[in-house]
Amino acid sequence: MSTPKATDLGGRALDFVMGIVEAPINGFERLMGRKRMPYLFLAPNLILFGIFTFLPIAIAVGYAFTGGTGLFVSERPFVGFDNFRQLLQCEDYFRPGSCRESLFWTAVWNTLWFVGFNVTATLLVALVTALILNRAMAARGFFRAMFFYPVLLSPVVIGLIWKWFLDRNGLLNAFLQMLGVPPEIFLLEVGWSRFFVVVVSVWFHMGFYTLILLAGLQAIPKDLYEAAAIDAASPRRTLLRITLPLLGPNLLVVLILLMIRSVQIFDEAWVLTNGGGPGTANSFIVQYIYQMAFGSDLRLFGLASAASVLMGLVLLALTLIQLRLGRKMES
Amino acid sequence: MGNLKLTSVTKSFGALTVLHDIDLTIDNGKFVVFVGPSGCGKSTLLRIIAGLEDISAGGIEIGGRDVVQLSPAERKIAMVFQSYALYPHMSVRKNLAFGLENLKFKRSEIDTRIAEAARMLAIEPYLERKPRQLSGGQRQRVAIGRAIVRNPDIFLFDEPLSNLDAALRVQTRAEITRLHRQLRTTMIYVTHDQVEAMTMADEIVVLNGGRIEQVGTPLELFDNPRNLFVAGFLGSPRMNMLKGKVTAVGEAAAVIDVGYGVPLKARIDPAAAKVGQAVLVGIRPAHFAIGDSEGLPFVVQYHESLGTETYVYGTLEGRDEQIIVHQAGHFAPERGALLRIMPLPGRVHVFDPDSGLALPRTIEQRSAAHEHA
Ligand SMILES: Nc1ncnc2c1ncn2[C@@H]1O[C@H](COP(=O)(O)OP(=O)(O)OP(=O)(O)O)[C@@H](O)[C@H]1O
Ligand SMILES: [Mg+2]
Repeated sequence: MSTPKATDLGGRALDFVMGIVEAPINGFERLMGRKRMPYLFLAPNLILFGIFTFLPIAIAVGYAFTGGTGLFVSERPFVGFDNFRQLLQCEDYFRPGSCRESLFWTAVWNTLWFVGFNVTATLLVALVTALILNRAMAARGFFRAMFFYPVLLSPVVIGLIWKWFLDRNGLLNAFLQMLGVPPEIFLLEVGWSRFFVVVVSVWFHMGFYTLILLAGLQAIPKDLYEAAAIDAASPRRTLLRITLPLLGPNLLVVLILLMIRSVQIFDEAWVLTNGGGPGTANSFIVQYIYQMAFGSDLRLFGLASAASVLMGLVLLALTLIQLRLGRKMES
Repeated sequence: MGNLKLTSVTKSFGALTVLHDIDLTIDNGKFVVFVGPSGCGKSTLLRIIAGLEDISAGGIEIGGRDVVQLSPAERKIAMVFQSYALYPHMSVRKNLAFGLENLKFKRSEIDTRIAEAARMLAIEPYLERKPRQLSGGQRQRVAIGRAIVRNPDIFLFDEPLSNLDAALRVQTRAEITRLHRQLRTTMIYVTHDQVEAMTMADEIVVLNGGRIEQVGTPLELFDNPRNLFVAGFLGSPRMNMLKGKVTAVGEAAAVIDVGYGVPLKARIDPAAAKVGQAVLVGIRPAHFAIGDSEGLPFVVQYHESLGTETYVYGTLEGRDEQIIVHQAGHFAPERGALLRIMPLPGRVHVFDPDSGLALPRTIEQRSAAHEHA
């Protein structure tokens, strides 16, 4: 691998670093005892995780049981399950208008529909793309980079790019006009706007899932395909009986990750649809939480926190399913 | 019918040509072993026959049918991979059934064939298990079973035993040989293990650097290697080589001087040798007689005793090249001892050092060698 010289250099660098840290580490070890040393090394990460992840979760759960518009706990009266009751009070969950928090239930249903379409579409597109990229083809690296590239962009940039593209005077309409098709105000029409929210999301995230699936495809031994060729398996049978079953664990990971991330849809859709429009056609759960807490001076932190907790529970359930299935696949 | 004919098969990967002009005919029902050092193109040749690899030029016929354009499935071959290549998510039964299902066999026929193959290979108890629940040897049998149920015209094996331990290898070797006797189907078997080649083959094809060095029965190759490569490759430990010079050419034999005033007689065709010609003399370790007074002076360095036989390592007096002498039974010469070793008559191979080719032998010599073996 590396030349002896480089190894030697690396070795000397390591010696040098070890020389510096050895004394303090030995000191700590004497102070704390050998058994507790691992915690010392884990501490920096645990502290950051605690401050920026665990603490906010705890605060949100706490706030979910308080009311009023005050920011600090001391200014917030305890209200028990009132916030949850408010969110869940409904005559008919299928008609958001009949619910006390009709906005919340509109958002829930919008999100469920979005999750359904987005998961299916992204999974299919990522799978087909991965299958194509897995073949020996010219400029494979270029295509792989091209599909992955949107993943690196900021959601706001994605939202803006597509907004320009879909605008009344945008590129798509200019193109349609050239073909003689009358222009359409895509983002102001319920059906089209929902359709394009899914399209943008697929385009944005598919590179990531394609990469996971591609890695899975490349881990399938080549000689299995050769054995299948000798076994007279048609391309269709090879796909259904060899490739997909062996890709199963990766497909499952992708499916669950996709579901989790789809439930969390917000930034790019918010920018693209000017805040969930037209009307509330593209208003999703995270947007509801954001608006209750920080939008137009509502300051309903309790209600927003309660909605967060509910969504968190759903995501927790999904994650547990993924872990369970993952472990079952491994064994 | 499982006869195979390769004509001028050439294979290149980009600029690298790994098989040059291979001509080979294999008769139906033969057990043929491709043997050669690593990277010589054995696997590539096998995969070309299977249809897993295209050829750059040449022709392939199986059973008199041109198969160059045919897919692996259409060639009526079955292959056993070095890695076994069992489908990991299918049970053993499904592994065996997969090919037959693809060919739209009737369920009852599939079941009959699986039952028969499972009985033949003694894998009945494992039919419902997944490959990962099997030992290496059991997986090996399943891989062979998957080939058997297809009832192919030709079986192809690519180093099928290399992942097994020594004892299992010997056992499986015998089983494959037994299977061949039972099925009487053409089998082509790739290995770089010359013991496997010698013990299993009806016919050995020695490959080197993408070319066929020699084709023949194991004993033909052992007794009459066509060139230095084959002489050195087959036989273990390898053939000893001495530099010499032809001093006389007679009707029945030529006389070769290798020094020490010991003339060696070699039965080579008088038309092929000239007096004064430099040659290499090859003598296998087992083809020396150890005497007291007559023979080449051999200085003992050490010996390896295997109980029923002994290999003595040393050099000819005053020279550097290592010489190995085989002796039956127990034999423990001391280090530094001087022995006299004499090549057995009729067991001396003579090579042209420039071309590496063996000098042709007289006819009597060939048959004599055969009787001897
Ligand atoms: N797909 C490939 N692309 C380029 N070169 C290849 C390819 N497959 C094989 N080769 C080359 O062809 C030559 C022959 O390879 P092959 O696998 O047939 O050797 P082998 O005789 O089976 O060796 P071994 O005993 O190690 O299995 C080697 O030099 C190898 O590097
Ligand atoms: Mg090989």
